Amino acid sequence: MNVWNIMIKEIKSSLRSTQTFIFMLAFPILLMLILGTALTNAFSSTAQIGDMQLLYSNKASNPQLIQHWQGFSQAIEHEGIQIVPAADGTNGQEEIREDRYTAYVELGDDGIQVYGSSKHAIESNIIQGMLTAFANQYNLAAAAFKQDPSKAEAILANANGGSHIVRETSLDPNKQAGSMDYYAISMTTMIALYSALPGSFLFRSERTRKTAIRLMASPVSKGSLFAGKVLGSTIINFLCIIAVVLFSLFVYGANWGDHYGMVFLVLATQVIFSISLGLGLSYLLKGDSARSFIMIFTQIASFVGGAYFPVDQRGGAWITQILPYISPLHWANTALTKIIYADDLMAAWPTIGVNLGIAAAFLITAALIMRKREAL
Amino acid sequence: MNVLEIRNLTKKFGDFVAVDNMSLNVREGEIFGFLGANGAGKSTTINMISSLLRVSKGEILILGRNIVSDSHFAKMNIGIVPQDLSIYENMTAYENVSFFAGLYGIRGALLKERTAEALEFVGLADKHKSFPKNFSGGMKRRLNIACAIAHRPKLIIMDEPTVGIDPQSRNYILNSVRKLNEMGCTIIYTSHYMEEVEELCTRIAIVDHGKIIAEGTKEQLKAIITDTKDIWIGIKSAGSQDIEPLKQIQGVTSVRLDENTIKITSKGEVNNLNRIIQQLIKDQAEIRSVEEQAPNLETVFLTLTGRNLRD
Ligand SMILES: Nc1ncnc2c1ncn2[C@@H]1O[C@H](COP(=O)(O)OP(=O)(O)OP(=O)(O)O)[C@@H](O)[C@H]1O
Ligand SMILES: [Mg+2]
Repeated sequence: MNVWNIMIKEIKSSLRSTQTFIFMLAFPILLMLILGTALTNAFSSTAQIGDMQLLYSNKASNPQLIQHWQGFSQAIEHEGIQIVPAADGTNGQEEIREDRYTAYVELGDDGIQVYGSSKHAIESNIIQGMLTAFANQYNLAAAAFKQDPSKAEAILANANGGSHIVRETSLDPNKQAGSMDYYAISMTTMIALYSALPGSFLFRSERTRKTAIRLMASPVSKGSLFAGKVLGSTIINFLCIIAVVLFSLFVYGANWGDHYGMVFLVLATQVIFSISLGLGLSYLLKGDSARSFIMIFTQIASFVGGAYFPVDQRGGAWITQILPYISPLHWANTALTKIIYADDLMAAWPTIGVNLGIAAAFLITAALIMRKREAL
Repeated sequence: MNVLEIRNLTKKFGDFVAVDNMSLNVREGEIFGFLGANGAGKSTTINMISSLLRVSKGEILILGRNIVSDSHFAKMNIGIVPQDLSIYENMTAYENVSFFAGLYGIRGALLKERTAEALEFVGLADKHKSFPKNFSGGMKRRLNIACAIAHRPKLIIMDEPTVGIDPQSRNYILNSVRKLNEMGCTIIYTSHYMEEVEELCTRIAIVDHGKIIAEGTKEQLKAIITDTKDIWIGIKSAGSQDIEPLKQIQGVTSVRLDENTIKITSKGEVNNLNRIIQQLIKDQAEIRSVEEQAPNLETVFLTLTGRNLRD
């Protein structure tokens, strides 16, 4: 019950703070507009879905399987995907790692193997989406050939050269990310990360306002205080995020895909992560240094995580390839992009897991230090 | 019945001993005054009673029950008016009182009733919808009190509740303290204003360097220093008076200037009034009145601690 009281108080006072509105609502909405419209042209060349090159190596000997593949490959070539046969002795997986192709397919009599590039997440997801349906039939047919070739023929005949598969999963032109779509995501996740700041003030503000004295003198446990404040702050910051998403969706027409539940789940865990980060740091660092640290960290994380402009990870020095991974924004943006543009819901789980894991570590640290302290 | 019992209480901050082996009883119905100069250890003691600081040594009992092992009981029975204003600026007066009272488990209609009652009590009923940021210093202090009493504690601890406010608000607060006491609350009161303590408190402890150096009723405390007398001499423009020669006069232990009065404390048995007056005439001071006072609390404090209560 006290947890509830404290949570409500936290929400109420945040709602009254103009800082909340400027920082968590006006700021991202304005930046989306500015960046999203100002950079439209510069943007379309960089963020459009890039060329898709599919490398394949044929180790199958069964002519029907090969024919089946050819039907399929013609169909996807028609959709703008370049099909490149691997020269003898080429290591396909290595080619992907070296980033020369978007995906690599290996055909064999036993079945088909697909390797996607993690650097071209969107493109490789599209190819994989097409290939999965094809591969299922191919593998089924390959298995059937071993048992009973006539059954396999029936399967392949049904597949009709694979062109219908392509049509179903082919590129939806609406799914290309424009600059507003990009910044809708990147500004939202950036603002979610900024909740680290209110997180760092959760208890510090009670101390500086001296209200910690009354809280400590009251019969409310530190645990209830902690839970109430963290919950309240999470709710209010998440509400701001929801408002920003809805605003960008309805007013700017940004594309948030079809899986709102998953999108909001990722964003919610990002808010929890950020608040815990701020709270943890406010207990680990003395005085005002937590605040300075968070200001610097969020700036750098925004920068390298692609909040202001897309970070091109392809090529370049190793540092530019590694750097984005330290940014929580990169994890979140990648997951959201995959959910929205490739319908890849599974991509959310690693991000959700990492967010919650780190949040738990910071929360536990803060709680332990708080318990040891005399006051709050 | 002891509402508060402090036994051999010690608080150390590192090597620094802020409260030193203090023992003290406060009985039900008392207004107990805590007198001490800056840094004497008053707030530190109060903060330990209200669980803000941990006790280094010794124990504290509220209504006979230990505040550590029985912390819920102790906290339910204490209301604290902290020295530093402890209110939320972005919540209305009503919300402030209601929030803090809610922490004591008061809910629903009773919460509304108690909140209204507390605001009424401190004279802020008509301001219940206003935000403290628009309040005067005195109003903030009153709200600070309202937040401490809505849960009807048996013991109310006030740490300098009148610091830095206008005389009107001060009178209001002093009357509130009396009323709370009449309603059955036991009160611990600290102040830098000797007059307040003298006027209000039924018993007083003088704290110095973390120790209680004297304790008792006003009369008992004054009786400690029967061998001193106070001579108050009213003169015109006392500010320009050189007090050094006065201090040299036999028997004089201290000389203070207070607006247009020279306050001299002297050993009781020495007959030195003539010499003092002669000195003033020599300095061409315009004497307006001469009074010999029975020792007051200020003298007691000064004699015992060697310090002024206010810097
Ligand atoms: N958290 C702390 N850490 C270190 N020293 C402290 C701490 N709190 C108080 N002190 C020291 O303990 C001594 C007693 O302080 P306290 O606040 O109890 O004095 P006080 O009697 O309330 O004085 P005042 O009249 O100025 O309010 C002071 O010397 C102060 O500097
Ligand atoms: Mg004090």
